[in-house]
Parts: sequence; C-alpha cells; structure tokens
Amino acid sequence: MVCIRKATIDDLLAMQACNLLCLPENYQMKYYFYHILSWPQLLYVAEDYNGRIVGYVLAKMEEETNECHGHITSLAVLRTHRKLGLATKLMSAAQTAMEQVFGAEYVSLHVRKSNRAAFHLYTETLGYKIHDIEAKYYADGEDAYDMRKQLKGKQYHHHHHHHHAGGCCAPEPKSLEAKPESKSEAKSSTKA
Amino acid sequence: MATKFGLAGGIPERRVRPIWDAIDSRQYKNALKLSTSLLSKYPNSPYALALKALILERMGKPDEALSICLNAKDLLYKNDSLLMDDLTLSTLQIVFQRLDRLDLATSCYEYACGKFPNNLELMMGLFNCYVREYSFVKQQQTAIRMYKLVGEERFLLWAICSIQLQVFCGNGGEKLLVLAEGLIKKHIGSHSLHEPEALIVYLSILEQQAKYGDALEVLSGKLGSLLMIDIDKLRIQGRLLARSGDYTSAADIYQQILEISPDDWECFLHYLGCLLEDDSSWNHEADSDSIHRPKHVDFKVSHLTDDKFESCMSNALAFVQRLLVDTTDDPVRGPYLAALEIKRRKHVYGTGSDDELVEALLKYYLKFGHLACFSSDIESFVQQLTPDKKTEFMDKIVKSCDSVTATGTKVLGQSITIFKLRELIGNLLNLPVVELENLAAEMVEMFCKNLPLSKDLDPQENMHGEELLCLASSLLVQLFWRTGNFGYFVEAIMVLEFGLTIRRYVWQYKILLVHLYSHLGVLSLAYEWYKSLDVKNILTETVSHHILPQMLVSPLWEDLRSLLKDYLRFMDDHFRESADLTFLAYRHRNYSKVIEFVQFKERLQRSDQYLVAKVETSILQLKQKADSIEEEERVLEDLKCGGHFVELSNEIGSKSLSFNEDLSLRPWWTPTSEKNYLLGPFEGIAYCPKEDLAKEREERVRRMIEKKSLLPRLIYLSIQSASALNKDNIEMNGSSSDPNISKELKYLLERYAKMLGSTFSDAVDVLMRVSTDQKSSQAFGSDTVDWLHFAVFLNAWNLSSHELSLPDGNNSGHSIIHVVDTLLIKHVSEKIKISDPLKFTGGQDFSTLVLLVTEPLAWHSIILQSCVRSSFPSGKKKKKGGATEHHSSQLLNALRDSTHSLHDVVEEVTKWLRKHINTPEESHVEMLVSSIRRNGGEHAGGPGAVFQVLENVVPSLDASEVGGRISRSLKSWSAVDIARKVAKGNSAVLSQFLQICMSKVKSLQALKQQIAQF
Repeated sequence: MVCIRKATIDDLLAMQACNLLCLPENYQMKYYFYHILSWPQLLYVAEDYNGRIVGYVLAKMEEETNECHGHITSLAVLRTHRKLGLATKLMSAAQTAMEQVFGAEYVSLHVRKSNRAAFHLYTETLGYKIHDIEAKYYADGEDAYDMRKQLKGKQYHHHHHHHHAGGCCAPEPKSLEAKPESKSEAKSSTKA
Repeated sequence: MATKFGLAGGIPERRVRPIWDAIDSRQYKNALKLSTSLLSKYPNSPYALALKALILERMGKPDEALSICLNAKDLLYKNDSLLMDDLTLSTLQIVFQRLDRLDLATSCYEYACGKFPNNLELMMGLFNCYVREYSFVKQQQTAIRMYKLVGEERFLLWAICSIQLQVFCGNGGEKLLVLAEGLIKKHIGSHSLHEPEALIVYLSILEQQAKYGDALEVLSGKLGSLLMIDIDKLRIQGRLLARSGDYTSAADIYQQILEISPDDWECFLHYLGCLLEDDSSWNHEADSDSIHRPKHVDFKVSHLTDDKFESCMSNALAFVQRLLVDTTDDPVRGPYLAALEIKRRKHVYGTGSDDELVEALLKYYLKFGHLACFSSDIESFVQQLTPDKKTEFMDKIVKSCDSVTATGTKVLGQSITIFKLRELIGNLLNLPVVELENLAAEMVEMFCKNLPLSKDLDPQENMHGEELLCLASSLLVQLFWRTGNFGYFVEAIMVLEFGLTIRRYVWQYKILLVHLYSHLGVLSLAYEWYKSLDVKNILTETVSHHILPQMLVSPLWEDLRSLLKDYLRFMDDHFRESADLTFLAYRHRNYSKVIEFVQFKERLQRSDQYLVAKVETSILQLKQKADSIEEEERVLEDLKCGGHFVELSNEIGSKSLSFNEDLSLRPWWTPTSEKNYLLGPFEGIAYCPKEDLAKEREERVRRMIEKKSLLPRLIYLSIQSASALNKDNIEMNGSSSDPNISKELKYLLERYAKMLGSTFSDAVDVLMRVSTDQKSSQAFGSDTVDWLHFAVFLNAWNLSSHELSLPDGNNSGHSIIHVVDTLLIKHVSEKIKISDPLKFTGGQDFSTLVLLVTEPLAWHSIILQSCVRSSFPSGKKKKKGGATEHHSSQLLNALRDSTHSLHDVVEEVTKWLRKHINTPEESHVEMLVSSIRRNGGEHAGGPGAVFQVLENVVPSLDASEVGGRISRSLKSWSAVDIARKVAKGNSAVLSQFLQICMSKVKSLQALKQQIAQF
C-alpha cells in the first residue's frame, strides 16, 4: 500500500537514495531542484505504508518548442516494490498534471534501447509510441528511443496573468539558474 | 532589456558578444585581450569594467577582480549621466557573488533603484539580491513596492511569501500572518486570484492561523476552481475538515478519495483517524527530520466507548471489504493492509483476537507472499502476535506454500519470504548451530539453482533471488557472533563476493561488504567497494556514514582527505548556489516551494555530519603536518588558531542538529556507526532493536564534536605555551610570562577533564596513578586516546606554569613529561601486543594504535619541537650562570629523554608493522581459506557448509542453462583470489601506517640530533 503524492523538497534525500538502488544514472542535485522549483506539480513520489519512498517520477514541461508538451525525465521504482503497478500510477499522475495543469498536448521520454522492461511498460501499459531514435544518447554510448504519447490536450484552464501571455511553457524572459553556471545569466540577457 | 536601453551597457552588442563567447568557452586569455581593447575604447564604462572583472575572477585573480568591480561601482555612483542598466548590474552581481561579497552587489542595486525608483527591472534585480541574502523583510518591502507600481498578483505573492519566510525561517511573529491575510483579501476584492499557487498560499495562511472554516469556504467557492486536479482538492478539504474537528465530514471525504485511489495509505490512516476522532496523524507531520518518516506506529488508543469503537471498526471493515471486491484483479495492496490495520487496532484496543489477525495475514500472504516487500509489510502486524501464534502463522504459511502451483519466480519469491519471516519472527536462535549452517547453505544453493531464471536479464537488472545471498551472509555473521568462529565471518564475505562476481551492480552486497571489511580492519577493501557505489551529490550526506567513521580512525589519510573534500565541496557549493535557485521558484510562481527550499537549506546547514566533517578536516590537516612544527603552524594559521572551533564546541550543546544519514541499509549488527554488536558478547538477539538508538546517537555525536573541536586550539595553545618557557623573559622561579595563554589552556583542560567525566585535579590524579601502575589503565575506559590527549596538553601547560608537582616534590615542571612518556609507551606497547593483523581480529585495537601514534604522540612531538626551537635555538650556545642554567639543563634532559622515548616507541611500532608486512602473503591466504574448508568431510560441522555449496554447485551449472554472461562470471569465481585480495588489502593498510611511522621516526631522529648539539 502506497501513497502517490506530490514530492516535497525534503523527499529529495530519499529520492536520490532510491535512484542509487535502481539506476546507474545519478543526476546532480541542482537538476532535481530545477525540476521541483519549476514544476512541482509534476513530481510525484510513491511512499510506502511504512513511510519509505519506494519510487518517484521526475518530469518537466519543455520550454524550447512552441508545442506545449511535457517530458518525463526520470522514473524509478525500488526492486522490492515492482509488480505492484507503481510505475504506472506514478506516470499517470505526472501525465494527468501535465494535461490538466499545463494543457500539454503530448508527453515525451527517452528509454535505453536495451531496457526491455521499461520499453514494455511504456508501449504496452502506458501507450507510448516510438517517435525517433537518438543515437548515442546515453553517456555509455547506448541509443535511446525517443517516445511520445498524445495527451487528450484538455482545455487549458490555468488562468495566466495578463502580463504573462506566452502560455504554459513560454520561455521566461531571463533564463538563469537552470543552466549549470550562473555566467549564462548575464549572457542570455544580451540575447534577450 | 539591452534593447530597452538601446545598447548593452551603452556598448554595441557586436563588441561584447565575442567576449562572452570567449568566457563561455573558457578562453579567458583571449577574453581578457578582447576586454582590454574594449576598455581602451570605453575606459569609463562600468559594463566593460565588470566584464574584465568577471574574466579576472575566472582566471583565479579575485583581488584584481574585486578592485576593478569597486572601480566600476564608483563610476556608477559618480556619474549621473550614466545609465543604470540591469545588464551592467547583473554582471557586477555575478562577480561580487563569486567573490562572496553579496553586500556590494545589493548596494549597487539599492543605489540604482533609488535613482530610478520606477524601474521594475531594477527592482526585480534588487529583490533577487535580497533573496540571495535571505533578507526576508527587505524582500517583502521591495515586492510591495513592485506590487504598488504595477498591481500584479505575482508581486503581491512574492511579498506574502517573504512574510511567511519571516514567520517560519526568520524571527517574525505569527501576527504577520494577519497582515498577509489582509493583503490577499484586499487584492481578491479588487482583482480576484488567477494562479493555483496563489490560492494554495492563501489557504495555507488561513490554515496557519487555524482559520479552517474560512479556508473551507474559500475552497468551496469560486476560487476553488483554480485547483485543476480533483483529488488534490479533496485532500485539502479532508485535512481542513479534520483539523476543524468535523471528523464525520472529513471521513466522508477520505472515503471518496479511497474510492478513487484505494492504494492510498496516508489517506486510509486519515480516514481511520477521523473515524476514531484521533488527531495524532496531523500532529507528527511537522517533525520529519529523518529521511523516512515512520507512518503507522503513532496512534492514540481510542477514547471512544466500546460500542462506538466497535461500530466504527465494523463500518471501516465493511468499507474496506467493498474496496477489496472492487480491486480483486489489481495488484493493489491497500485494502488488504487496511484490513490488517483495522485488526491490529482492535488487537491493541483489546477486542481483537490473534486468530483473526493470523487469518488476515494469511490472506495477504496468498496474494502477495511472493513479493519482496511482503515481510517488511507485515512486520508490525506480526509483532502483535504471541510467540506461539507467530509459530502457528509460520507453519500455516509453509503449508500453504506447498499447495501452490506457480511459476519459478513466484515460488522463489515465496521461499525467500519464508526465510525472511523466520528471521523476523526470531525463532532461528533456538536452532542448533548445525541447522543454521544448513539453512545458510540452503539459501545459497537456492540462489545458484535459480540462476537460470536470470539467464536473459541485462547485467543492469536485478537478478532473481538476490536477497538470498544477503540473508545467507547475515546468518553467517550471526553464527560468527554466536560461536566466535572466524571461519563463518570469512564465509559471510565469500558469499557476497561471489554474488558480486556474478553481477557487480548489487548495491546491498557492496554495502554489507563495506561493513564486513571494516570490521575486519581491511579498510582498503571496504573503501574500494564504497567507491564503486559512486556516491555523489546529496548522497554524500545520506550514505557516507557507511565508511566515514571508520576512515577517520584509519591510516588511509589520502582516501579520507578526498572523502571529506568531496563531501564538503558539495555542501558548500550547495549553500552558495541554493539562493540562486530560490529565485527560480519565485519566477515560476511556486511559492510553497520557496519556503520548503529555504527550510531544506537550513536543514543541511544543521547537519551533524557537516560539522563533523569540518572539524575532522582540520584535525586531519594537523595530523598530516605534525612532523614539522613550521608546517603545523601554517595549518594552524589557516585555521585561525582554532578559535572558530572553540566557539563551535561552546555552542554545540544548544545547537539543533539534523541527522540526515539513511541508516536503513546498514547491516543488523551495526545499526548505527556507534554500535557494533559483534564487539560485545553474543546476546542472543539476532533482531537487534533499532529504536532508541537515535537519541543515544545524537548525544554521542554532540559530545564528540564538543571534544574534538577543542583540539586545534589546544594544539595551538600548547605550542605557544611550550615556546614561551625559556625566553629571555624567564623569571627566576622558572615561570614564564604569557599568563593569557596559560590561563586559556588551563581553562580548556578543565573543560576537557569534564568531558572525560572528571574534575581537573582528579584527572591529573588518575594520570599519575595509571602512569605509576597504582591504577590499571582500565580507568581510562574506552577513552584512552582522549585521556592521553589530556596528558599531552597538560604537560604543555605545566611546562610553562609549573603548577603541578609530583608526589616526590619534584616541581621542576618537567615531571609531567615523564608521565606522558610512560603512558604513551605503555598504551602503544599494549596495543601492539593484543592486535594481530594476521588474525584479522584487530580492527578495533589497530585503529586505537593508529590514533595513539597519529594524535597524542604526534601532538607531544610537536610540543617537544616547540620547546627545543625556542629554548635552544640552533647556533646559540648555552648561557652560563646560576639558576637559569640549572633550569635549562634540567629541561634539556627532560626533552632529551622524552624525544628518545618517543623515538623508541615509534621504532617499536615500525618493527612490528614490518614483521607483519613481510609475512608471506600465501600464509594469510592459507589461513583464510583453511578457515572455511571442512577437512573432516561433509559432516564435520563448523564453517564451510556454504563454501562447499559454492564449490559443488557452481561447476555443475551449465552455460546453456544460465546463459553466457553468468556462465563466464561463474568460471571466473575463485575463493583463493578473494583470500589473496583480502591479504593484499590488509597489507596495504599496514603499509600506509608504516609510512606514517617512518616519517615520524625521521622527524624524531632529527630532533634528537638537534638536542644532542647542546
């Protein structure tokens, strides 16, 4: 029995531990913060009944393109808690939020070509389709499937302020901390 | 905004862009060239200057960068006609921030905002400056000004958020919340609200003031439609209703949530809490300082009448039964565990029966028994049963298992569950040793025989039955503890090494090995496995505890240095950069995250491990340089003579610390780094309790920090004290003249004695008695090293103060030196005698030996160096005449004796180390391998049953069954290779220590020669 709930910043401690147990990848903490401070609506954790974090999904809204869409950055479920449908629940929660909070038209993700279990989950259970193949996407040189799933594109109710008319994922006038070094801050201003 | 002002800082962009490009590609020399030529054209442009400063800072020239920045700042202030553009300011800001001068950046923005009071861009920059400085009040004021200027909702919320920060992270009173509420209400009146987060903030402000009814009204009104996800809204509604005391309505809401999401445990607990009118589930949410917060333990025994309680419980059960029917086809544990929880509550209340609970557990087993989470799921329920019922439950499960016809993985899963349950229920300890051996062997055999199931798995994927090897290893450690037979311990290692030969990614195996090798004293191997975990980022905070405490007492100084450095760098970078990230949340209008984020930063700043790492880093530096007084003094100078650490030591008692270590993956025998059950006698509890350790641990850590942070200052004062004793200002009575040093040293010694549980004079007495064998060194308890520290610093103090005298009336001030020498010889020789690294049982004694040599002995030698340097500077001949000469020759003798004695002690250690290092490797290997080989055949008993399985089963596994990859790894498996690795690792640790000792011998030799000149 779990609770799929929105992640808090304190959860990052346990989420990283989770990552270590499940995935060879280990993101920089700044990258997690970038997600949770920008789109906290899209981060969910699976908290088991004894309080342990046993899985999480990390997602973001894509800022670069015109078509408003979400992207799943990372999904992890502890081995001890597989076969309970947690991955599906986590994914559904993130997808629903993308749809309902941000009005996303589709959601994308990358998966290792060799990761059959995940590929099966995405295609069979969650209805993703291969959109493209990204050669040598991973640090170790493995290719990735670029997968997408169309969302219902529900009407976007989010009443944005008049000042901020660009829609859900319009780039902010000044893109700063997302980049690894703060030097980009002033730099991007010159482009603005 | 560059376009807004026409030009980038008054300079055409085409001239600036190449400079930025060069900076981005780290071609700083080129960037500097370009910037110089830009400055020749715009010599007084603050922007051009800021760019140059930026480049210089990147090139590692902070002083030049700062002076140029200050120049640019002056120009900005002086020249009224200059434009104040955000680009210039933000470039300056970056440099100032990197130079740790946020205050200067802020004052630039403050000045600019004063000059152009209606410029929103600049005000945002200023707000950002305050965010970086965590100046919540000024943030609020700036945001309000922006709000007044343009009337935008977001600026109002920036202000509100700044108010909340004052209440939760600053020292603002709760009354400020009334102000915040008023501001929002007024805004709603004129503009309504448009952002979901704005509503969340509004609700939180009402909730924080316990205005639950108002909050509910807002939520159900028009504004409630801002929340797009229904279940989120229901959760808030349920919480508000429950907190307002309307439990009936709240229970209805939670029921609705459970119908949508039947697996939601938190919601179920709230539901149950509402039915029982128990508010404890709301109260413990605040204290979430541990990584995993326990969820199910806390509840109040109901105050309801029996009838009411029964009817509540049967209603709940009926509801859960309905959920069970609806979810029969899903792998949803929720309703099953909910039913169990209801039965547990009844049990605690006194109206449930064991049989009911057993029945529900069995039902749960039939559905989920094959899952890896099963045994931890039912742990708290099983604990409710009497020992007999536990056994009955076990029997029933074993029986039901036989009747199941299922797939290979499912059967394997169930078998593993049964092994785990036996451990959990704790009846393993009643079994005879031989049965435990067989059980461990059975586990390993099961693992091997099920390897074909993992034939097609990717090496990254977890294999089926991986837990079996952990279980077997754990059982073997128990056998070691119980029988004291070392062979079991070796087998426990072999099993895990075997598992890692097959798949080298298994985290759990690696962690267990880190601890097993640490216990053995083969720290080089422990560290190697730890490194292979690739612990980075925030994990350095949560995971380092597996290795750091052992490394702190080891001779592996370089590895320790990098461990500490990586950790501190991560933490310090985070503290420096986190404020920048805070603004991200403001910009994305995620106000609740701003508060969480600031609180998280504070949590990390309070980390116990962070403090420990800071103190230990300085002690390590002092240890590494202790062979030369000049280098030691440089280290002390960098440490500001240890003053900060004394402050830390003073404050630590009242400081609130956070403990972020994730202890859940530690082996049962060492649940915290302070506890190691294997060092004590067998206590017959394999299932050692984890509770209550937290508090005990916190106390220990505090005491440890308090004590250790005095060391740098004690060393500094001792050097000073020793160097002041024979200068020209020496008085006839032999006492020297820096009373402040002496006074402070005495004061710290008094504190140190207190930490040893003694008064100053009693502590001195204990030292004297132990040194003259009137008392056994058991008087020091487990604090030998600390007592010797006290002795060493006491001597330094007495050398100049001459306050202490020996019973024989010798009060020359040099008598304590002799005490120190005696104690050092005594304890070092003692440790050498009892720790035999060949037998691998000396982990503990060996680390004490290392500490004795590298800490008290090292500090003592530094003090001797200091004495010699100041009293007998080379080239100066002895002065003739009277009492001074007498005193000085007495001192010289004392120093000579002490130096000789130290030299001999370290020589002794060196010889001992050489002897062990030179023992042929093969004899180590043979010792290890023979400890697990059963020479008397299969029925001989003792260690070796598991090893035999590996020897017999592994060759029988066929490549066609287990697949090429596994088959290849199996072929590469060799127990002898592992034994050799252990022998080599052991010798590596000894060699590191030998190097340290040799360097000490050299330095003492030099000191001896120096003294001999007089």
